[in-house]
Amino acid sequence: MTAMSRDPVTIGRGGPSRAIFAVFLLCTTLSACGDRQSTLNVAGEDAAAIATLFWVMLAGAVVLWLGMNGLFFYLSRVAPGAFPDRLVRPLLIGGGIVLPTVILATLLVWSLTMLPDQRAPDDGLRVKVTGEQWWWRVEYWPKGAEAPVVTANEIRLPVGSRTGFELDAHKVIHSFWIPALGGKMDMFPGRTTYVSLRPEKTGTFRGQCAEFCGASHAWMAFETVVLPPDDFEAWLAAEARDATPPEGDAARRGAALFAAEGCGACHTVRGTEAVGQVGPDLTHVGSRLTLGAGRIGATLDDFAAWVEHTGALKPEVKMPAYDHLSDGQLADLAAYLKGLE
Amino acid sequence: MTDRHTPEKDSAEFAAEAGSLWRITFAPATWAGHFLLCYTLFATGCAKGWPVGTVRHGLIGMSVLALAVIALIGWRAYAQWSPRSTGRIVNPRGDAEDRHHFLGHAGFLLAVISFIGVVFVTLPLLLLEGCR
Ligand code: HEC
Ligand SMILES: [Cu+2]
Repeated sequence: MTAMSRDPVTIGRGGPSRAIFAVFLLCTTLSACGDRQSTLNVAGEDAAAIATLFWVMLAGAVVLWLGMNGLFFYLSRVAPGAFPDRLVRPLLIGGGIVLPTVILATLLVWSLTMLPDQRAPDDGLRVKVTGEQWWWRVEYWPKGAEAPVVTANEIRLPVGSRTGFELDAHKVIHSFWIPALGGKMDMFPGRTTYVSLRPEKTGTFRGQCAEFCGASHAWMAFETVVLPPDDFEAWLAAEARDATPPEGDAARRGAALFAAEGCGACHTVRGTEAVGQVGPDLTHVGSRLTLGAGRIGATLDDFAAWVEHTGALKPEVKMPAYDHLSDGQLADLAAYLKGLE
Repeated sequence: MTDRHTPEKDSAEFAAEAGSLWRITFAPATWAGHFLLCYTLFATGCAKGWPVGTVRHGLIGMSVLALAVIALIGWRAYAQWSPRSTGRIVNPRGDAEDRHHFLGHAGFLLAVISFIGVVFVTLPLLLLEGCR
Protein backbone atom coordinates (compact mmCIF):
# COMPACT_ATOMS: atom_id res chain seq x y z
CA MET A 1 0.00 0.00 0.00
CA THR A 2 2.72 2.45 0.97
CA ALA A 3 4.73 1.50 -2.08
CA MET A 4 1.67 2.05 -4.21
CA SER A 5 1.07 5.59 -2.99
CA ARG A 6 4.74 6.44 -3.15
CA ASP A 7 5.37 5.25 -6.66
CA PRO A 8 2.16 4.47 -8.49
CA VAL A 9 3.65 4.80 -11.96
CA THR A 10 6.15 1.96 -11.83
CA ILE A 11 3.76 -0.36 -10.08
CA GLY A 12 1.02 0.37 -12.60
CA ARG A 13 3.28 -0.06 -15.62
CA GLY A 14 5.99 -2.43 -14.42
CA GLY A 15 3.69 -5.09 -13.04
CA PRO A 16 1.78 -6.36 -16.05
CA SER A 17 4.43 -5.61 -18.66
CA ARG A 18 7.03 -7.45 -16.62
CA ALA A 19 4.73 -10.42 -16.32
CA ILE A 20 4.12 -10.42 -20.07
CA PHE A 21 7.86 -10.21 -20.63
CA ALA A 22 8.42 -13.19 -18.33
CA VAL A 23 5.83 -15.25 -20.18
CA PHE A 24 7.34 -14.19 -23.49
CA LEU A 25 10.82 -15.17 -22.28
CA LEU A 26 9.55 -18.53 -21.08
CA CYS A 27 7.83 -19.24 -24.39
CA THR A 28 10.81 -18.28 -26.50
CA THR A 29 13.34 -20.18 -24.41
CA LEU A 30 11.10 -23.23 -24.27
CA SER A 31 10.51 -23.25 -28.00
CA ALA A 32 14.17 -22.47 -28.69
CA CYS A 33 15.40 -25.67 -27.16
CA GLY A 34 12.06 -27.19 -28.16
CA ASP A 35 12.74 -30.61 -29.50
CA ARG A 36 16.43 -31.04 -30.19
CA GLN A 37 17.96 -30.47 -26.78
CA SER A 38 15.36 -30.91 -24.12
CA THR A 39 14.95 -33.38 -21.31
CA LEU A 40 11.22 -32.91 -21.69
CA ASN A 41 11.21 -33.95 -25.33
CA VAL A 42 11.62 -37.56 -24.42
CA ALA A 43 13.26 -39.73 -27.08
CA GLY A 44 14.69 -42.48 -24.91
CA GLU A 45 13.91 -44.74 -21.98
CA ASP A 46 16.33 -42.97 -19.66
CA ALA A 47 15.07 -39.49 -20.49
CA ALA A 48 11.53 -40.79 -19.88
CA ALA A 49 12.45 -41.79 -16.32
CA ILE A 50 13.96 -38.36 -15.65
CA ALA A 51 11.00 -36.55 -17.20
CA THR A 52 8.56 -38.55 -15.05
CA LEU A 53 10.54 -37.66 -11.95
CA PHE A 54 10.52 -34.02 -13.03
CA TRP A 55 6.77 -33.86 -13.63
CA VAL A 56 5.95 -35.61 -10.38
CA MET A 57 8.21 -33.23 -8.46
CA LEU A 58 6.79 -30.23 -10.27
CA ALA A 59 3.22 -31.31 -9.53
CA GLY A 60 4.17 -31.95 -5.90
CA ALA A 61 5.84 -28.56 -5.65
CA VAL A 62 2.77 -26.84 -7.08
CA VAL A 63 0.49 -28.62 -4.61
CA LEU A 64 2.81 -27.72 -1.72
CA TRP A 65 3.07 -24.13 -2.87
CA LEU A 66 -0.68 -23.75 -3.14
CA GLY A 67 -1.19 -25.48 0.21
CA MET A 68 1.38 -23.35 2.02
CA ASN A 69 0.16 -20.09 0.52
CA GLY A 70 -3.42 -21.13 1.15
CA LEU A 71 -2.49 -21.64 4.79
CA PHE A 72 -0.71 -18.29 4.95
CA PHE A 73 -3.74 -16.64 3.42
CA TYR A 74 -6.08 -18.39 5.82
CA LEU A 75 -4.00 -17.54 8.86
CA SER A 76 -3.34 -13.92 7.94
CA ARG A 77 -6.66 -12.91 6.34
CA VAL A 78 -9.43 -15.35 7.18
CA ALA A 79 -8.63 -16.36 10.73
CA PRO A 80 -5.83 -14.18 12.04
CA GLY A 81 -6.53 -14.94 15.72
CA ALA A 82 -4.51 -17.19 18.02
CA PHE A 83 -4.90 -20.93 17.65
CA PRO A 84 -5.26 -23.45 20.46
CA ASP A 85 -2.14 -25.46 21.21
CA ARG A 86 -4.05 -28.69 20.79
CA LEU A 87 -4.55 -27.82 17.11
CA VAL A 88 -1.20 -26.24 16.36
CA ARG A 89 0.97 -28.98 17.80
CA PRO A 90 -0.26 -31.89 15.64
CA LEU A 91 -0.14 -29.61 12.61
CA LEU A 92 3.43 -28.67 13.42
CA ILE A 93 4.59 -32.21 14.05
CA GLY A 94 2.57 -33.72 11.21
CA GLY A 95 3.14 -31.03 8.59
CA GLY A 96 6.55 -29.87 9.73
CA ILE A 97 8.32 -33.11 10.58
CA VAL A 98 6.45 -36.24 9.53
CA LEU A 99 5.18 -35.12 6.14
CA PRO A 100 8.48 -33.73 4.76
CA THR A 101 10.38 -36.73 6.11
CA VAL A 102 8.02 -39.16 4.40
CA ILE A 103 7.93 -37.20 1.13
CA LEU A 104 11.72 -36.79 0.98
CA ALA A 105 12.31 -40.42 1.89
CA THR A 106 9.92 -41.55 -0.84
CA LEU A 107 11.57 -39.32 -3.43
CA LEU A 108 15.01 -40.46 -2.31
CA VAL A 109 14.11 -44.15 -2.53
CA TRP A 110 12.45 -43.66 -5.89
CA SER A 111 15.35 -41.76 -7.44
CA LEU A 112 17.94 -44.12 -5.95
CA THR A 113 16.18 -47.10 -7.51
CA MET A 114 16.26 -45.23 -10.84
CA LEU A 115 20.01 -44.70 -10.78
CA PRO A 116 21.18 -48.24 -11.60
CA ASP A 117 18.90 -48.30 -14.68
CA GLN A 118 20.79 -45.35 -16.12
CA ARG A 119 23.93 -47.48 -15.96
CA ALA A 120 22.42 -50.74 -17.13
CA PRO A 121 24.73 -52.94 -19.24
CA ASP A 122 24.72 -52.47 -23.02
CA ASP A 123 23.02 -54.73 -25.57
CA GLY A 124 26.22 -55.24 -27.53
CA LEU A 125 27.50 -51.83 -28.58
CA ARG A 126 29.98 -49.81 -26.55
CA VAL A 127 31.04 -46.32 -27.46
CA LYS A 128 34.11 -44.81 -25.92
CA VAL A 129 33.98 -41.03 -25.81
CA THR A 130 36.87 -38.84 -24.72
CA GLY A 131 36.31 -35.18 -23.91
CA GLU A 132 38.93 -32.97 -25.57
CA GLN A 133 39.25 -29.20 -25.63
CA TRP A 134 36.71 -28.66 -27.24
CA TRP A 135 35.61 -31.67 -29.17
CA TRP A 136 34.70 -35.34 -28.75
CA ARG A 137 36.90 -38.29 -29.66
CA VAL A 138 34.57 -41.20 -30.43
CA GLU A 139 35.31 -44.92 -30.77
CA TYR A 140 32.72 -47.58 -31.58
CA TRP A 141 33.32 -51.02 -30.11
CA PRO A 142 30.64 -53.40 -31.42
CA LYS A 143 30.46 -56.77 -29.67
CA GLY A 144 33.57 -58.83 -30.34
CA ALA A 145 35.43 -56.05 -32.16
CA GLU A 146 39.20 -56.14 -31.89
CA ALA A 147 39.77 -52.61 -33.10
CA PRO A 148 37.42 -49.67 -32.78
CA VAL A 149 35.78 -47.63 -35.49
CA VAL A 150 37.20 -44.18 -34.83
CA THR A 151 35.33 -40.99 -35.54
CA ALA A 152 34.59 -37.67 -33.83
CA ASN A 153 32.05 -35.03 -32.91
CA GLU A 154 28.98 -37.00 -33.83
CA ILE A 155 27.31 -40.01 -32.33
CA ARG A 156 25.06 -42.40 -34.18
CA LEU A 157 23.01 -44.95 -32.32
CA PRO A 158 20.64 -47.77 -33.21
CA VAL A 159 17.08 -47.19 -32.00
CA GLY A 160 15.60 -49.67 -29.52
CA SER A 161 18.79 -51.09 -28.05
CA ARG A 162 20.95 -50.02 -25.17
CA THR A 163 24.36 -48.56 -25.95
CA GLY A 164 27.00 -48.26 -23.25
CA PHE A 165 29.23 -45.19 -23.08
CA GLU A 166 32.67 -45.36 -21.54
CA LEU A 167 33.60 -41.78 -20.81
CA ASP A 168 37.03 -40.33 -20.29
CA ALA A 169 38.64 -36.94 -20.62
CA HIS A 170 41.93 -35.47 -21.69
CA LYS A 171 43.36 -32.71 -19.43
CA VAL A 172 40.17 -31.18 -17.94
CA ILE A 173 36.74 -32.29 -16.78
CA HIS A 174 33.85 -32.34 -19.25
CA SER A 175 30.33 -33.69 -19.04
CA PHE A 176 28.50 -35.80 -21.57
CA TRP A 177 24.84 -34.97 -22.00
CA ILE A 178 22.18 -35.73 -24.60
CA PRO A 179 19.10 -34.34 -22.81
CA ALA A 180 16.54 -35.95 -25.13
CA LEU A 181 18.03 -39.39 -24.47
CA GLY A 182 19.06 -39.42 -20.82
CA GLY A 183 20.95 -38.00 -17.89
CA LYS A 184 24.37 -36.40 -17.93
CA MET A 185 27.61 -37.98 -16.83
CA ASP A 186 30.87 -36.24 -16.00
CA MET A 187 34.09 -37.11 -17.79
CA PHE A 188 37.30 -37.07 -15.75
CA PRO A 189 40.91 -37.24 -16.92
CA GLY A 190 42.31 -40.62 -15.91
CA ARG A 191 39.06 -42.13 -14.74
CA THR A 192 36.45 -43.96 -16.78
CA THR A 193 32.81 -43.27 -16.04
CA TYR A 194 29.91 -45.18 -17.51
CA VAL A 195 26.41 -44.31 -18.63
CA SER A 196 24.08 -46.13 -21.00
CA LEU A 197 21.29 -44.90 -23.24
CA ARG A 198 18.40 -46.61 -24.94
CA PRO A 199 16.88 -44.35 -27.61
CA GLU A 200 13.27 -45.04 -28.47
CA LYS A 201 12.76 -42.61 -31.35
CA THR A 202 14.78 -42.05 -34.48
CA GLY A 203 15.87 -38.50 -35.18
CA THR A 204 18.63 -36.00 -34.60
CA PHE A 205 19.23 -34.69 -31.10
CA ARG A 206 21.75 -32.24 -29.77
CA GLY A 207 24.29 -33.11 -27.11
CA GLN A 208 26.26 -30.55 -25.15
CA CYS A 209 29.25 -30.49 -22.84
CA ALA A 210 27.74 -29.69 -19.45
CA GLU A 211 30.83 -28.93 -17.39
CA PHE A 212 32.79 -25.73 -17.90
CA CYS A 213 36.00 -26.75 -19.66
CA GLY A 214 37.61 -23.56 -20.94
CA ALA A 215 37.18 -20.73 -23.44
CA SER A 216 35.12 -22.66 -26.00
CA HIS A 217 33.10 -24.77 -23.58
CA ALA A 218 29.82 -23.37 -24.87
CA TRP A 219 30.83 -24.42 -28.41
CA MET A 220 31.47 -28.01 -27.40
CA ALA A 221 28.37 -29.78 -28.64
CA PHE A 222 27.57 -32.65 -30.98
CA GLU A 223 24.81 -34.17 -33.04
CA THR A 224 23.30 -37.48 -32.06
CA VAL A 225 21.65 -39.36 -34.90
CA VAL A 226 19.37 -42.22 -33.88
CA LEU A 227 18.89 -44.64 -36.76
CA PRO A 228 16.89 -47.81 -37.45
CA PRO A 229 19.18 -50.78 -36.60
CA ASP A 230 19.84 -51.75 -40.23
CA ASP A 231 20.72 -48.20 -41.22
CA PHE A 232 22.99 -48.02 -38.22
CA GLU A 233 24.83 -51.20 -39.19
CA ALA A 234 25.26 -49.91 -42.74
CA TRP A 235 26.53 -46.57 -41.47
CA LEU A 236 29.00 -48.22 -39.08
CA ALA A 237 30.32 -50.46 -41.85
CA ALA A 238 30.85 -47.40 -44.05
CA GLU A 239 32.45 -45.48 -41.20
CA ALA A 240 34.93 -48.32 -40.67
CA ARG A 241 36.23 -48.07 -44.25
CA ASP A 242 39.22 -45.99 -45.29
CA ALA A 243 38.65 -42.60 -46.83
CA THR A 244 37.38 -42.36 -50.40
CA PRO A 245 40.09 -40.97 -52.72
CA PRO A 246 39.43 -37.42 -53.95
CA GLU A 247 37.29 -37.12 -57.08
CA GLY A 248 37.60 -34.18 -59.46
CA ASP A 249 40.35 -31.60 -59.93
CA ALA A 250 39.37 -29.32 -57.07
CA ALA A 251 39.28 -32.16 -54.55
CA ARG A 252 42.61 -33.52 -55.81
CA ARG A 253 44.19 -30.08 -55.45
CA GLY A 254 42.64 -29.92 -51.98
CA ALA A 255 44.18 -33.26 -51.02
CA ALA A 256 47.60 -32.01 -52.10
CA LEU A 257 47.09 -28.83 -50.06
CA PHE A 258 46.00 -30.88 -47.06
CA ALA A 259 49.34 -32.71 -47.23
CA ALA A 260 51.39 -29.60 -48.01
CA GLU A 261 49.87 -27.48 -45.23
CA GLY A 262 50.65 -30.18 -42.67
CA CYS A 263 47.04 -30.83 -41.65
CA GLY A 264 47.97 -34.50 -41.30
CA ALA A 265 50.20 -33.69 -38.31
CA CYS A 266 47.04 -33.27 -36.25
CA HIS A 267 44.37 -35.10 -38.23
CA THR A 268 43.96 -38.67 -39.37
CA VAL A 269 42.48 -39.50 -42.75
CA ARG A 270 42.64 -43.28 -42.83
CA GLY A 271 44.15 -44.66 -46.03
CA THR A 272 46.39 -41.61 -46.48
CA GLU A 273 49.63 -40.35 -44.99
CA ALA A 274 47.67 -38.28 -42.46
CA VAL A 275 47.84 -40.03 -39.09
CA GLY A 276 47.82 -37.15 -36.60
CA GLN A 277 46.05 -37.66 -33.27
CA VAL A 278 45.81 -34.10 -31.94
CA GLY A 279 42.54 -33.23 -33.66
CA PRO A 280 39.40 -35.05 -34.76
CA ASP A 281 39.59 -37.98 -37.18
CA LEU A 282 38.60 -36.60 -40.60
CA THR A 283 38.27 -39.88 -42.51
CA HIS A 284 34.53 -39.34 -43.01
CA VAL A 285 34.21 -35.68 -42.06
CA GLY A 286 32.24 -35.03 -45.28
CA SER A 287 29.27 -36.96 -43.92
CA ARG A 288 29.12 -35.10 -40.61
CA LEU A 289 26.19 -32.77 -39.94
CA THR A 290 28.30 -30.09 -38.24
CA LEU A 291 31.88 -28.90 -37.98
CA GLY A 292 33.88 -27.92 -34.92
CA ALA A 293 31.77 -29.99 -32.52
CA GLY A 294 28.46 -28.47 -33.46
CA ARG A 295 29.88 -24.99 -34.05
CA ILE A 296 28.75 -24.53 -37.67
CA GLY A 297 27.07 -26.54 -40.43
CA ALA A 298 28.95 -28.69 -42.92
CA THR A 299 28.47 -27.04 -46.30
CA LEU A 300 31.40 -26.26 -48.61
CA ASP A 301 31.31 -22.67 -47.33
CA ASP A 302 31.38 -23.89 -43.74
CA PHE A 303 34.47 -26.00 -44.43
CA ALA A 304 36.25 -23.01 -45.99
CA ALA A 305 35.15 -20.71 -43.15
CA TRP A 306 36.33 -23.19 -40.52
CA VAL A 307 39.82 -23.54 -41.99
CA GLU A 308 40.19 -19.80 -42.54
CA HIS A 309 38.75 -18.49 -39.23
CA THR A 310 39.15 -21.33 -36.78
CA GLY A 311 40.07 -19.18 -33.79
CA ALA A 312 37.37 -16.62 -34.53
CA LEU A 313 34.76 -19.37 -34.55
CA LYS A 314 36.11 -21.08 -31.45
CA PRO A 315 38.26 -18.97 -29.10
CA GLU A 316 41.59 -20.54 -28.09
CA VAL A 317 41.01 -23.53 -30.35
CA LYS A 318 44.02 -25.85 -30.75
CA MET A 319 43.98 -25.57 -34.54
CA PRO A 320 45.73 -22.67 -36.29
CA ALA A 321 43.67 -20.45 -38.64
CA TYR A 322 44.84 -20.83 -42.23
CA ASP A 323 43.97 -17.26 -43.25
CA HIS A 324 46.98 -17.05 -45.57
CA LEU A 325 45.26 -19.40 -48.02
CA SER A 326 43.55 -17.86 -51.04
CA ASP A 327 39.82 -18.24 -51.62
CA GLY A 328 40.58 -20.70 -54.40
CA GLN A 329 42.79 -22.82 -52.16
CA LEU A 330 40.15 -22.79 -49.40
CA ALA A 331 37.53 -23.90 -51.93
CA ASP A 332 39.79 -26.75 -53.02
CA LEU A 333 40.35 -27.86 -49.42
CA ALA A 334 36.62 -27.66 -48.82
CA ALA A 335 35.94 -29.78 -51.90
CA TYR A 336 38.39 -32.41 -50.67
CA LEU A 337 37.03 -32.48 -47.10
CA LYS A 338 33.40 -32.48 -48.18
CA GLY A 339 34.23 -35.42 -50.47
CA LEU A 340 35.46 -37.48 -47.49
CA GLU A 341 32.10 -39.15 -47.00
CA MET B 1 13.54 -12.35 41.76
CA THR B 2 16.82 -10.60 41.31
CA ASP B 3 17.84 -11.18 44.93
CA ARG B 4 17.37 -14.91 44.55
CA HIS B 5 19.65 -15.00 41.51
CA THR B 6 23.14 -14.44 42.82
CA PRO B 7 25.98 -15.15 40.38
CA GLU B 8 27.21 -17.94 42.66
CA LYS B 9 23.85 -19.64 42.64
CA ASP B 10 23.52 -19.24 38.90
CA SER B 11 26.88 -20.78 38.16
CA ALA B 12 26.14 -23.66 40.49
CA GLU B 13 22.87 -24.31 38.66
CA PHE B 14 24.50 -24.04 35.26
CA ALA B 15 27.22 -26.46 36.31
CA ALA B 16 24.56 -28.98 37.20
CA GLU B 17 23.29 -28.85 33.61
CA ALA B 18 26.72 -28.87 31.93
CA GLY B 19 26.35 -32.61 31.43
CA SER B 20 22.98 -32.18 29.68
CA LEU B 21 24.44 -29.48 27.52
CA TRP B 22 27.10 -31.88 26.36
CA ARG B 23 24.62 -34.70 25.94
CA ILE B 24 22.45 -32.86 23.44
CA THR B 25 25.41 -32.82 21.04
CA PHE B 26 25.86 -36.61 21.09
CA ALA B 27 23.10 -37.50 18.63
CA PRO B 28 24.16 -34.97 15.95
CA ALA B 29 27.77 -36.00 16.54
CA THR B 30 26.85 -39.64 15.91
CA TRP B 31 25.08 -38.59 12.73
CA ALA B 32 28.12 -36.58 11.60
CA GLY B 33 30.48 -39.43 12.38
CA HIS B 34 28.32 -41.92 10.52
CA PHE B 35 28.11 -39.56 7.54
CA LEU B 36 31.88 -39.12 7.42
CA LEU B 37 32.54 -42.82 7.83
CA CYS B 38 30.14 -43.75 5.01
CA TYR B 39 31.50 -41.25 2.53
CA THR B 40 35.20 -41.66 3.23
CA LEU B 41 35.19 -45.44 3.62
CA PHE B 42 33.15 -46.06 0.49
CA ALA B 43 35.18 -43.62 -1.63
CA THR B 44 38.48 -45.02 -0.35
CA GLY B 45 37.25 -48.58 -0.80
CA CYS B 46 36.23 -47.92 -4.40
CA ALA B 47 39.46 -46.08 -5.20
CA LYS B 48 41.66 -48.79 -3.67
CA GLY B 49 39.64 -51.70 -5.02
CA TRP B 50 38.61 -53.13 -1.66
CA PRO B 51 35.79 -55.70 -1.81
CA VAL B 52 32.71 -53.52 -2.20
CA GLY B 53 30.32 -56.02 -0.65
CA THR B 54 32.30 -56.17 2.57
CA VAL B 55 32.60 -52.40 2.82
CA ARG B 56 28.90 -52.04 2.14
CA HIS B 57 27.79 -54.63 4.67
CA GLY B 58 30.18 -53.24 7.25
CA LEU B 59 28.73 -49.79 6.77
CA ILE B 60 25.16 -51.08 6.95
CA GLY B 61 26.16 -52.65 10.27
CA MET B 62 27.59 -49.32 11.40
CA SER B 63 24.33 -47.65 10.39
CA VAL B 64 22.31 -50.01 12.56
CA LEU B 65 24.68 -49.30 15.42
CA ALA B 66 24.44 -45.53 14.89
CA LEU B 67 20.64 -45.74 14.84
CA ALA B 68 20.65 -47.75 18.06
CA VAL B 69 22.96 -45.24 19.76
CA ILE B 70 20.81 -42.32 18.63
CA ALA B 71 17.64 -44.11 19.74
CA LEU B 72 19.15 -44.62 23.18
CA ILE B 73 20.24 -40.98 23.42
CA GLY B 74 16.77 -39.92 22.29
CA TRP B 75 15.12 -42.19 24.84
CA ARG B 76 17.17 -40.77 27.67
CA ALA B 77 16.55 -37.20 26.51
CA TYR B 78 12.83 -37.91 26.40
CA ALA B 79 12.95 -39.16 29.95
CA GLN B 80 14.73 -35.96 31.01
CA TRP B 81 12.16 -33.83 29.22
CA SER B 82 9.35 -36.00 30.72
CA PRO B 83 6.40 -34.17 29.16
CA ARG B 84 3.98 -36.85 30.33
CA SER B 85 4.82 -37.06 33.99
CA THR B 86 5.13 -33.28 34.42
CA GLY B 87 2.26 -32.59 32.03
CA ARG B 88 4.24 -29.71 30.57
CA ILE B 89 5.49 -29.76 27.01
CA VAL B 90 7.29 -26.43 27.03
CA ASN B 91 9.45 -25.22 29.90
CA PRO B 92 9.84 -21.49 29.55
CA ARG B 93 10.83 -20.60 33.12
CA GLY B 94 14.44 -19.69 33.81
CA ASP B 95 14.82 -21.94 36.83
CA ALA B 96 16.87 -25.05 37.39
CA GLU B 97 14.03 -27.51 36.94
CA ASP B 98 12.77 -26.02 33.68
CA ARG B 99 16.29 -25.80 32.36
CA HIS B 100 16.72 -29.49 33.04
CA HIS B 101 13.52 -30.40 31.20
CA PHE B 102 14.20 -27.99 28.37
CA LEU B 103 17.62 -29.51 27.64
CA GLY B 104 15.92 -32.91 27.54
CA HIS B 105 13.42 -31.55 25.03
CA ALA B 106 16.17 -30.10 22.83
CA GLY B 107 18.20 -33.31 23.05
CA PHE B 108 15.15 -35.34 22.06
CA LEU B 109 14.41 -33.22 18.98
CA LEU B 110 18.07 -33.33 17.94
CA ALA B 111 17.99 -37.12 18.30
CA VAL B 112 14.92 -37.27 16.05
CA ILE B 113 16.55 -35.25 13.27
CA SER B 114 19.82 -37.20 13.65
CA PHE B 115 17.91 -40.45 13.33
CA ILE B 116 16.27 -39.25 10.11
CA GLY B 117 19.65 -38.02 8.86
CA VAL B 118 21.28 -41.40 9.43
CA VAL B 119 18.39 -43.17 7.69
CA PHE B 120 18.79 -40.88 4.64
CA VAL B 121 22.54 -41.47 4.50
CA THR B 122 21.98 -45.22 4.80
CA LEU B 123 19.41 -45.47 1.97
CA PRO B 124 22.03 -45.27 -0.83
CA LEU B 125 23.93 -48.07 0.92
CA LEU B 126 20.85 -50.26 0.77
CA LEU B 127 19.73 -49.34 -2.75
CA LEU B 128 22.98 -48.88 -4.68
CA GLU B 129 25.33 -51.78 -4.67
CA GLY B 130 28.44 -51.01 -6.67
CA CYS B 131 31.05 -48.30 -6.92
CA ARG B 132 29.63 -46.58 -10.00
C1 HEC C 1 47.80 -28.12 -34.49
C2 HEC C 1 46.89 -29.18 -34.84
C3 HEC C 1 45.99 -28.97 -36.05
C4 HEC C 1 46.33 -28.68 -37.35
C5 HEC C 1 47.74 -28.44 -37.90
C6 HEC C 1 45.11 -28.67 -38.10
N1 HEC C 1 44.05 -28.95 -37.29
FE1 HEC C 1 42.13 -29.12 -37.85
N2 HEC C 1 41.59 -29.37 -35.94
C7 HEC C 1 42.44 -29.43 -34.86
C8 HEC C 1 41.66 -29.52 -33.66
C9 HEC C 1 42.20 -29.60 -32.24
C10 HEC C 1 40.32 -29.50 -34.04
C11 HEC C 1 39.10 -29.55 -33.11
C12 HEC C 1 38.74 -28.15 -32.77
C13 HEC C 1 37.51 -28.01 -31.92
O1 HEC C 1 36.41 -28.26 -32.42
O2 HEC C 1 37.66 -27.65 -30.76
C14 HEC C 1 40.30 -29.44 -35.47
C15 HEC C 1 39.14 -29.46 -36.25
C16 HEC C 1 39.13 -29.52 -37.62
C17 HEC C 1 37.95 -29.73 -38.42
C18 HEC C 1 36.54 -29.97 -37.89
C19 HEC C 1 36.38 -31.44 -37.63
C20 HEC C 1 35.08 -31.83 -36.99
O3 HEC C 1 34.89 -33.00 -36.73
O4 HEC C 1 34.25 -30.97 -36.71
C21 HEC C 1 38.34 -29.69 -39.72
C22 HEC C 1 37.46 -29.88 -40.93
C23 HEC C 1 39.75 -29.45 -39.72
N3 HEC C 1 40.20 -29.36 -38.43
C24 HEC C 1 40.51 -29.30 -40.87
C25 HEC C 1 41.86 -29.00 -40.87
C26 HEC C 1 42.60 -28.67 -42.06
C27 HEC C 1 42.04 -28.68 -43.45
C28 HEC C 1 43.86 -28.42 -41.64
C29 HEC C 1 45.03 -27.98 -42.50
C30 HEC C 1 44.79 -26.86 -43.37
C31 HEC C 1 43.91 -28.58 -40.20
N4 HEC C 1 42.68 -28.91 -39.78
C32 HEC C 1 45.03 -28.42 -39.44
C33 HEC C 1 43.80 -29.41 -34.89
C34 HEC C 1 44.55 -29.13 -36.02
CU1 LIG D 1 33.84 -29.72 -22.40
